[in-house]
Amino acid sequence: MMAALYALRRCFEGAVPASIATCAPDGVPNVAKLSHVHYVDNGHVALSYQFFNKTRENILDNPRATVEVVDPVSAAHYTLQLEYLRTETEGPLFENMKARLAAIASHTGMSKVFRLRGSDVYRVIDVEAVPGEAGPDSPPRAELLSGLRACVAELSGCVDLAHLLDVMLAGLERHWDIRHAMLLMPDPDGRRLYTVASRGYPESGVGSEVRMGEGIVGVSASARTPIRIGYAVQEYRYSQATRQRFAASADGDALETEIPFPGLTEAGSQLAVPLVLGDRLLGVVYVESPQEQRFTYEDEDALAVLAGQLALAVELLSRNGEHPAEKTMPAAEPSGPPAQAQGTPVLIRHFSADQSVFVDNDYLIKGVAGAIIWKLLREHAEGRAEFSNRELRLDASLKLPDINDNLDARLILLQRRLAERCPFIAIEKTRRGCFRLNVGRPLRLAEATAG
Amino acid sequence: MPRTKSDPPLLDAMHAEFLGGPVAINVASRDEARVPSIARAYGCRVAADRREVVVFLSRRRSTALLRDLAAGAPVAVVFSRPKTHETIQLKGARVRIRPLAAGDRARMLACGAAFATEIIALGYTESFSRALMAPAGDDAMAIAFTPDAVFEQTPGPKAGQRLEPGP
Repeated sequence: MMAALYALRRCFEGAVPASIATCAPDGVPNVAKLSHVHYVDNGHVALSYQFFNKTRENILDNPRATVEVVDPVSAAHYTLQLEYLRTETEGPLFENMKARLAAIASHTGMSKVFRLRGSDVYRVIDVEAVPGEAGPDSPPRAELLSGLRACVAELSGCVDLAHLLDVMLAGLERHWDIRHAMLLMPDPDGRRLYTVASRGYPESGVGSEVRMGEGIVGVSASARTPIRIGYAVQEYRYSQATRQRFAASADGDALETEIPFPGLTEAGSQLAVPLVLGDRLLGVVYVESPQEQRFTYEDEDALAVLAGQLALAVELLSRNGEHPAEKTMPAAEPSGPPAQAQGTPVLIRHFSADQSVFVDNDYLIKGVAGAIIWKLLREHAEGRAEFSNRELRLDASLKLPDINDNLDARLILLQRRLAERCPFIAIEKTRRGCFRLNVGRPLRLAEATAG
Repeated sequence: MPRTKSDPPLLDAMHAEFLGGPVAINVASRDEARVPSIARAYGCRVAADRREVVVFLSRRRSTALLRDLAAGAPVAVVFSRPKTHETIQLKGARVRIRPLAAGDRARMLACGAAFATEIIALGYTESFSRALMAPAGDDAMAIAFTPDAVFEQTPGPKAGQRLEPGP
């Protein structure tokens, strides 16, 4: 009986080189080493096309190949009978393999040599276990499925986005021992993602941005595919230098660089999974670990299912945000003048060019969240403290980019930046769709002029 | 032009040393329909005149390969050193299949031990490394062939280059 390909997925992690045999038109066999065999699905694998070599010349003439893969734990060998189908040079499979190859190249000191030209897709005709006593195996990991069940159950109890994201990140740690994680959401301009929530970092990094298509999160978002890397890889890391470079690129929409991306400096393992509903990208869950090879195919399976559930929950909450109850709700009544603030006055400056806001001389936030806090502070100065999401949505001066923009996510971002940088100003949720602005010190507001 | 006994051997002394060192060895052939067969080998010995290369296989782990080689199909063997990625491939028109000769078993076990030691130093676990080379056991046998082509296969710009015998 043919062994199930998915049961061999550990052989496709790139930990042990595989070997491929092909045959030329004149009947001369050829054998070569392969840096990795990529699992596509239970009936297909893909091999990296890096150089035009004898293997490639042979399979273009005679599509039959025989590959031997090795289990990196038990050392069991398997022989795969393959038939070459096609080469893909873009799309999810290609991006996935490119990231994996970069990781293997970096791990083995071959970064200058390995370069993916294409993903050669093969049909698996047969899988055979090579007879022999395999070494000790590792037991299956029961915690993944039971942890998934627990994580999903916890999501269902969440009534707002901030709570949902925190519960999800806490669940990753509690049930799967994933200690460094974050959630990013796409800016409606479609060119960048911003961090809405994180867990396990000294600085939350909420509000930090990464460019679509850049680094592991950006590639996962633009290709709409999970990307999993088991070794430290320069190309997929978010160093301050590369972010400065992205920020300086000439497309005119400056990337947030004042807030550092919270990721680990030396991540041994990284996994980014997109939150997708239909053709819409709602966000990316990113997890990482200092340990190499921390995340397996099974972790990716589990996180992909959780990301699917999370996407549904985010969507549901965002529709509830447009709930008729909120729409018919009168604009929040002024609840009398805000309590008198105590202490030394603080200077809040606003630059209208990029909507950036500074507290004394410290950067707080910019963009849509900057415009929101500036509006709230100005109205607060006139004696208001109670606000509603709906009035923000309807306020043309805020220039909310699109009705698709997730206002809740912007408010979470603002709320958390305030909590971290400016604890005497706080956004406190009062009921669904409503919040109060609490100000604990006297403020002096100044509209700054450029230059 | 066919090579004759008077031609210098294709393998130079450095190649011969490399083949007998801590290398992964994979052997391939093909059947009449040009469907390839493949198996791992557990060590190598190069004759003193460097005209014959012997590699050691496990019989039950090489069923398809041995069937094809016994039918007279050509052979291809790749040798790759994990530590340096240095890789070469040898080809031979046909092989002689024979039992282990005196000294072969000790040679095979020494190759297996050297390879295991090298990959443990690269970070592979001891249990994996020992299990990988363990099949070099009781059912071992040898295939011998005269290389008629040598290819450089170290990843990089020279990969695929055919190596000619030195002067």
